[in-house]
Amino acid sequence: MGKAVETDKQPIIQVTDLHKYFSTLHVLKGITTEVYRGEVVSIMGPSGSGKSTFLRCLNRLEEPTSGSIKIDGEEIVDHKVDINMIRRDIGMVFQDYNLFPHLSVIQNVTLAPVHVRGTKYKDAEEIGMKLLERVGVGEKAKEFPSNLSGGQQQRVAIARSLAMHPKIMFFDEPTSALDPEMIREVLDVMRDLAESGMTMVVVSHELGFIREASSRIFVLENGSIIEEGDPDAIFNNAQQERTKKFLSMII
Amino acid sequence: MLSTEIRQWGTRFGHLPWYRRYEFLFPALVVLLVAVGFFMPPEGRPEQFFDGATILLAFVSFLALVLIVITDREKPVLLKRAASLSLIALFFLLFYRYSGTQWDRVRHQFFNLQALEGVWPMYLTGLRFTLQLSVVAALASIGLGLVLGILRSLRNPVLELFIGFYIDFFRAMPLIVSMVVVFYALPFLGINLSAFWSAATSLILMNSAFQAEIFRAGIESIPKRQIEAAKALGLGPMKTMRLVVLPQATRIILPPLSNNLVSLVKDTAVAYVITYPELLTQARHAVIWKRNPTPLIFSMFIYLATLLPLTRYTRFLEKRSKRWVKR
Ligand SMILES: Nc1ncnc2c1ncn2[C@@H]1O[C@H](COP(=O)(O)OP(=O)(O)OP(=O)(O)O)[C@@H](O)[C@H]1O
Ligand SMILES: [Mg+2]
Repeated sequence: MGKAVETDKQPIIQVTDLHKYFSTLHVLKGITTEVYRGEVVSIMGPSGSGKSTFLRCLNRLEEPTSGSIKIDGEEIVDHKVDINMIRRDIGMVFQDYNLFPHLSVIQNVTLAPVHVRGTKYKDAEEIGMKLLERVGVGEKAKEFPSNLSGGQQQRVAIARSLAMHPKIMFFDEPTSALDPEMIREVLDVMRDLAESGMTMVVVSHELGFIREASSRIFVLENGSIIEEGDPDAIFNNAQQERTKKFLSMII
Repeated sequence: MLSTEIRQWGTRFGHLPWYRRYEFLFPALVVLLVAVGFFMPPEGRPEQFFDGATILLAFVSFLALVLIVITDREKPVLLKRAASLSLIALFFLLFYRYSGTQWDRVRHQFFNLQALEGVWPMYLTGLRFTLQLSVVAALASIGLGLVLGILRSLRNPVLELFIGFYIDFFRAMPLIVSMVVVFYALPFLGINLSAFWSAATSLILMNSAFQAEIFRAGIESIPKRQIEAAKALGLGPMKTMRLVVLPQATRIILPPLSNNLVSLVKDTAVAYVITYPELLTQARHAVIWKRNPTPLIFSMFIYLATLLPLTRYTRFLEKRSKRWVKR
């Protein structure tokens, strides 16, 4: 059970004492943790515990109030750093896909490589087609997003992120807006990605996926990581009463 | 065969009140027309009370018949259209015959083709100047309006103050006033703008103020999630605007923007007051030259011919954007 990773490497994400306030609301209360290359970290926790906010701080879609975040050794909580250079190496998949509705599927996938990395369109298209085939929507390349099912759109969104060759992929409840049969097709793509060695941080409620695919689990409650460990430790051997209570509610 | 058809006819319209049935409407129309043929007074403004009453009665009777037809849900649309059109035609016919207008005078003063001889080249010149001013003012105001709209959508309080003031000021200022001020007052400060640039400046200032609001509304209609998705891919703010926000905002922006541009073309005629040689100015010169107002009348048709296609296009854009919203 779970994914084995050697951890004697340098962490690819290193978070130290991260705080986030929304005006007076204290949402993240001093998070310190790290994620290693090739790991698949799942974040669990009750609604409103700050899972999305934590993830969005890691690529500064939300500005952290204080603390330090190092991506691949580089401090990013600093207004001098060009955040776009950091973001191009971090893929992010949202709950509601957020494909660009005015662009066809293949244009969605090639937009960032062409305009951010400066890849030639022909090359970006070739790579994009391979990615679309890999996530199983190759035949939809010329369609517009509104003509695709939710599951297909989410797989396109994954391909769109992968097209930038990211070092890390973030997933914020990628299957929460989907019908059950579509959840599977998206989770299959994510499992495939995990096996390929991608570093992933996943906020999810899909217990099956969390158990099988993740190397570690963070349990977030009320803005703090109250427990972390491999799936076996969390699901069968939780140390914290609050973790046990949370798990008993969702299983 | 025929008798069953007649019987069916009876059952088909049997539920209608008597005055809505063709058996009444058709004879009534014939009677009305015959009566009109016999009793209508001679051409010219009616002198006697009886004549005026006859005309009024004829018109009101016809109006009643038309109303019966167009308020009936079961009458075919084509018939309703024909009824409304013939009512309008009747109105103009009555007006033509009985208003007492001296039509030959109208024809001589307003539609005197002789007074148009040699005027067409002037129209052409005028139209060229009108279009020149329109194109320059339109392009510049779109550019300025876009920049102001983007800046305003940032919701920066300081920018908001300045741009808000600019927008309010030039939306409230009458175009003719700013044009006259730029052309006749600024020279006292040593700023001498030609009639063209005075007109263009005023048009640009006013229309960019209106357009800034149009662009801002379009930009703000794009959900924040779209912008976040673009940011997460590493696109900077300029590229996000150009590649993600503006292309999606055009469907919101285009209808009101094209409306504004139609107004802009119309407003170039205001430059008449500062002697810019556009279409209206040329028509006015032609009137003085020919001592006949026909050139002015025909300039209306030239404005219409230029602007009607534009307004039609605007309406098409509006319809299209509504259809998209529904989806
Ligand atoms: N932009 C914001 N402005 C103000 N408060 C916010 C904002 N975003 C989130 N919050 C608040 O921060 C807290 C944490 O929100 P967050 O979305 O991170 O929770 P979550 O763990 O992802 O919950 P869920 O499982 O429902 O998605 C919530 O109380 C939420 O109301
Ligand atoms: Mg969330």
